[in-house]
Amino acid sequence: MSAPVSHLRQPLVLGNPAYAQITNDVLKPMESWPSKLWWGTFAVTASWLAIGLGAIAWQQYEGIGTWGLNKTIGWGFDITNFVFWVGIGHAGTLISAILFLFRQKWRTSINRSAEAMTLFAVICAALFPLIHMGRPWFGALWFIPAPNLRGPLWINFRSPLIWDFFAISTYFTISAVFWYVGLIPDLATVRDRAKHPIRKAIYGALSLGWSGANKHWVHYETVYMLLAGLSTPLVLSVHTIVSTDFATSVIPGWHTTIFPPYFVAGAIFSGFAMVLTLLLIARKVMHIEHLITIKHLENMCLIITATGMMVGLAYMTEFFIAWYSGSNYEGFCFVNRAFGPMGWSYWIMFSCNVISPQVFWFKKARTNVVVIFIMSIVVNIGMWFERFVIIVTSLHRDYLPSAWAMYSPTWVEFTTLLGTFGLFFTAFLVFTRVLPAIAIAEVKSIKKFAQPHAHPAHGHDEAAGGVPGLAHAPAAPEKGV
Amino acid sequence: MSARATQAADNYLVGYFVEDEDILAATKATRQAGLPIYDCYTPFPVHGLEAAQGLPRSWMTYACFLLALTGFLTSLFMQSYTQAIETPLWSGWPLNVGGKPFLPLTSFVPVLFELAVLFAGVGTALTLLAFLGLYPGQKPKFTLPGTTDDRFALVLDTAAAGFDESKARELMQRHGASEISWVAPNR
Repeated sequence: MSAPVSHLRQPLVLGNPAYAQITNDVLKPMESWPSKLWWGTFAVTASWLAIGLGAIAWQQYEGIGTWGLNKTIGWGFDITNFVFWVGIGHAGTLISAILFLFRQKWRTSINRSAEAMTLFAVICAALFPLIHMGRPWFGALWFIPAPNLRGPLWINFRSPLIWDFFAISTYFTISAVFWYVGLIPDLATVRDRAKHPIRKAIYGALSLGWSGANKHWVHYETVYMLLAGLSTPLVLSVHTIVSTDFATSVIPGWHTTIFPPYFVAGAIFSGFAMVLTLLLIARKVMHIEHLITIKHLENMCLIITATGMMVGLAYMTEFFIAWYSGSNYEGFCFVNRAFGPMGWSYWIMFSCNVISPQVFWFKKARTNVVVIFIMSIVVNIGMWFERFVIIVTSLHRDYLPSAWAMYSPTWVEFTTLLGTFGLFFTAFLVFTRVLPAIAIAEVKSIKKFAQPHAHPAHGHDEAAGGVPGLAHAPAAPEKGV
Repeated sequence: MSARATQAADNYLVGYFVEDEDILAATKATRQAGLPIYDCYTPFPVHGLEAAQGLPRSWMTYACFLLALTGFLTSLFMQSYTQAIETPLWSGWPLNVGGKPFLPLTSFVPVLFELAVLFAGVGTALTLLAFLGLYPGQKPKFTLPGTTDDRFALVLDTAAAGFDESKARELMQRHGASEISWVAPNR
């Protein structure tokens, strides 16, 4: 009897490990004392976080006059960082939701950590508008749809900033729900392996009494699919709405209809780069190279090249439209963007985002972890500069030359940015210690995908009595990888 | 097998399997033979097992739709009431922004969408947990070693009509059960 063996597809899990082996491999980092490498990294990122918290405390005490903003450039690092971090989050939802709906089974090894990354990135993003309020404790009164203290005066639902509040908070909530629902079966696995009573109690409470009953799986899988279906338009809406913060204004350089798709493509582009940065380190440190394989990395590199070309197209379209519109202001804005005093930032953006991802056309490059790692950093630098270019170069030379100004960020702004990187990486490091960083149940379910000698799940005519013979065949010899 | 001695009226017969194809085939055969299946316990959702077990489709999609509709209508009411509608009982504060219309439905679209998604997502997840009886402090119904790791358990209801122990054992063994034993529900 010939088993369906695919010679075209590469197996998603290398070496055909047993189910228990997958559990062991994923949970090992959680069940052993952290390595020196982990502690060293933790010390570095936690000190970044501490520096950032100090900077935040200082700007709350002294006021946001500590920033380098001026009357012409009213938005600078804060909104740049906000858009940057929101964008980072998008890859997580793309991997967990959109690739799920497209039945892209390779997502299973990376979706859990990508979703965690989404949550931490959105927290980092949300910090900036909060800090920008100057007095964030009033934030609740300004944003939450409740009558304010001046009578029944409500927030203005026609404002994109309010849309943004709803988009970001919904995005965070739904991502957290999706993540937690995905975690429940794995938390039950951790619970059943736990030896220490306190550990057992904690994971017992978190796993909500999950037993793996098939009557539960049926509803669970439907809900998981529904959440994926809800998250898919949600992730597209979030950066669309973020882009309307700019696009609904009348500032040349911002007032363009291309912004929503352009921002969404850029978000996915930068998010995948950040996923790669994190996973390249994680798979090495946690010894899970057989679960997060070169195949996974290669797929992500291809997505980076595709979305990189989309943002490249958007950059060029913007230029074309600025000329084609015949608007002097629009035309000047773009010439100034590329060739004005801040042109260097434009060319950093362009070379990092459009030119450098072309290296992934070469299979040697996209299967080389060193190249991928360097590229993931380059893309993140490029995407940070994209937001900087859009925001600062559009503002710094406006309609009146007498109002033109330059922007130089202060140490407070730099340390706050450093602090969010500290928060992001510290949270991720803690996550890899306390929760299963890979979706164990999902990886098990695709273990046999494209494996040599895999039995088909269907097609057994058990009435013929032929099944036991097949099912009891000795374990198929593993194909060396 | 000493566990056999503990058989009581509320006990269940469990067959453990190590491969997903085996439990799938065993479940199909068990159902065909008319033996009462209580449930299967698996470390991951086994494709086709719900059909083999004869479980109906999940109704969660309907709950999700109704919740999305609730979110949409809540958002529509909230936005139009706060931005445009003045009632004697409950007054909003129509705000004139540059002479723009008070009820611009297109401007409401983003928040309409977001609240529909928010209600649907959070609500469906809570519906799932409530319906399955999952909450912190809940214990699994049975203690079936390895079923969240690398074993698949087929649990038969011994109290139900049509249960036949020798037939059940023979069937599970034929389909490659690695172990067959009795289990009592956790209390």
